[in-house]
Amino acid sequence: MKKTLSVILAALLALGCVFMLASCGSTGEETTAPADDTTAASEETTVGESDLAYIQNKGKLVVGVTEYKPMDYLDENGEWTGFDAEYARAVAKELGVEVEFIEIEWDNKEFEVESKKIDCVWNGMTITDALKKSMDITDPYVKNAQVVVMPKDKAQDYTTVESLKDLSFAVEVESAGKGVAEENGFNFTELTYQSDAILEVHTGKADACIIDLTMADALTAEGATYENLTKVLSLNEEEYGIGCRKGSDLCTKINEITDKLLADGTLDALAAKYELTLVK
Amino acid sequence: MFWTVTLSLLEGFMTTLELFALTLLFAIPLGLIIAFGSMSKFMPLKWLSKTVVWIIRGTPLMLQLIVVFYGPELIGGWFGELGIDNPIFNWLAGMKGLDRFPSVLLAFVINYACYFSEIYRGGIESIPKGQLEACQVLGMTKSQAFFRVVLLQVVKRIVPPMGNEIITLVKDTSLARTIAVYEIIWNAQKFIKNGGLLWPLIYAGAFYLIFNGLLTIIFAKLEKKMDYFKA
Repeated sequence: MKKTLSVILAALLALGCVFMLASCGSTGEETTAPADDTTAASEETTVGESDLAYIQNKGKLVVGVTEYKPMDYLDENGEWTGFDAEYARAVAKELGVEVEFIEIEWDNKEFEVESKKIDCVWNGMTITDALKKSMDITDPYVKNAQVVVMPKDKAQDYTTVESLKDLSFAVEVESAGKGVAEENGFNFTELTYQSDAILEVHTGKADACIIDLTMADALTAEGATYENLTKVLSLNEEEYGIGCRKGSDLCTKINEITDKLLADGTLDALAAKYELTLVK
Repeated sequence: MFWTVTLSLLEGFMTTLELFALTLLFAIPLGLIIAFGSMSKFMPLKWLSKTVVWIIRGTPLMLQLIVVFYGPELIGGWFGELGIDNPIFNWLAGMKGLDRFPSVLLAFVINYACYFSEIYRGGIESIPKGQLEACQVLGMTKSQAFFRVVLLQVVKRIVPPMGNEIITLVKDTSLARTIAVYEIIWNAQKFIKNGGLLWPLIYAGAFYLIFNGLLTIIFAKLEKKMDYFKA
C-alpha cells in the first residue's frame, strides 16, 4: 500500500516537472497549436536571424518605459506621451511596426531586454560604461547633466563642490548620479528611483539629491510638486541613449532613422516642445 | 483626489487578491503532495522533496520570481548562441517563459506549497502512533485511518501556523511588482513618483490591514469550530 502510494506520488511529481518544463516551452499562448509552437521555436533559433527582422516579423516594437517626465509619461487619456514616447512612435513608423509601451521595474531593465520581454529601453537613460556592457546603446540624442537639488532656503550656502562635502545625499541606485557622488567622495544613500531620491530631500531624510537635469527642471518648476527645492550645481554633462539588445541591428537602424528625423526637423520640434537640448 | 487614489488602489488590490486566492487554491493541495513526499519511505522521492523544499525555502522569493519570468528566455538565448542544430538544443533555445502574471503565480504556488508542506508534515507527525495502531486493531486500512481519523485532527492543529503563512502571503504579493505586475503597492508608488503624494502608500496599508483582519476572524472561527477535538 505504502509502496504503491510512493510510486504514485513519484509519478505525480515527475509529471509536475514535465508540465512545468512544457509550460516553459510553450509560447505562453494556450491557443497556439503545437505545430505553430515548433515553427515559432525554430524561427527563434535560426542562427543569425537579425533582431530587426524579429521585431518586424512580430509587427511591434516593445518599448520599456517608466513614468519619467518629460521623457515618458501618461497623458490624461492614459496614453503614453513625452519626448521619448513621441520619438519612439516616429521611429516605429519608419520601421513599419506598431509601438507597445510596457512599464517596467527599472532595476530589471537589463533582464527585460536580454530575455526579449521588451525590445529596447527608451526612457531618458543616461549612457554609462556599465550599461554599455549589458546593452548596445544608440548614439546620444539628448543632453543631460547630473545636478544637485536641495531646499531653496539652504541653497545660497552651497555654491561650490567643496561646500557639498559634508552633506548627506540621496541618489538612484547604480545611476549616473551615484557615479558622480562617488567621484566627488560624497556621503550618499541609494534608492530605487530618482523620484525616491528627491522625496528624501523633500522629507528632510537627506540634505540634497543628485538627479538628472531634465527631471530636476520638470519637478522643481514653479507650481510643480517640489517647488520648495531648487538645483544648485551641475556636476557633469552627459547624454541620453536608447538601450537595445547586445549585438542587435536595431541599434544601428535607430541611429539611421534618427539622422533622418534630425534632418527633417522632427526632433527639433520635439525638443522645443519638451524644452530639451538635442545632441547633434 | 481621494476618490482617484481609492479607485487606483482598489484596482491594484484586485490583482493582489487574485494572486492571493489562486496561490492558495493551488498551493494547499500541492503542499500536501510535497509533505507526503518528504515523509515517504521511498528514499529517492523523499530526497527529491527535501531538496526542492530546501532550495525554495533557502532562496528569496524575489529571486525565484526573476528566475521564473526571465529565466527561460535567458537560458534559451545561451543555447541559441551555441548555434548547434539538433532537436533538443533547438527546443531549449526556443524556450519561452510565461506572461507576467502566470509567472508570479507559478513562483508563489511553488514557494508557498513548500512552506505549507512542512506545516502539514509537522501536523501529521504530531498525531500519536497509538491512534494508527488502534485503527489497525479495528480493521481499518491505512487510507481509511488517515482520512477518517488523522486528517481532521491535523487540520485543527495546523490552523494557527497556516494562518501565519496565509497572512504573510497577503503581504508577500507586493513582491509581484519586481517583474512589473501592477498590484496595490505599485499603484500607490506611482502617486509618489508622479506627484510626490505620500499618503496613498500609507493608505494602501489599510487595505492589507482590513483584509488581514477579516482573515484573522475567519481563522479564529475555524479554530473554535474544531474545538471538539480537544484531547
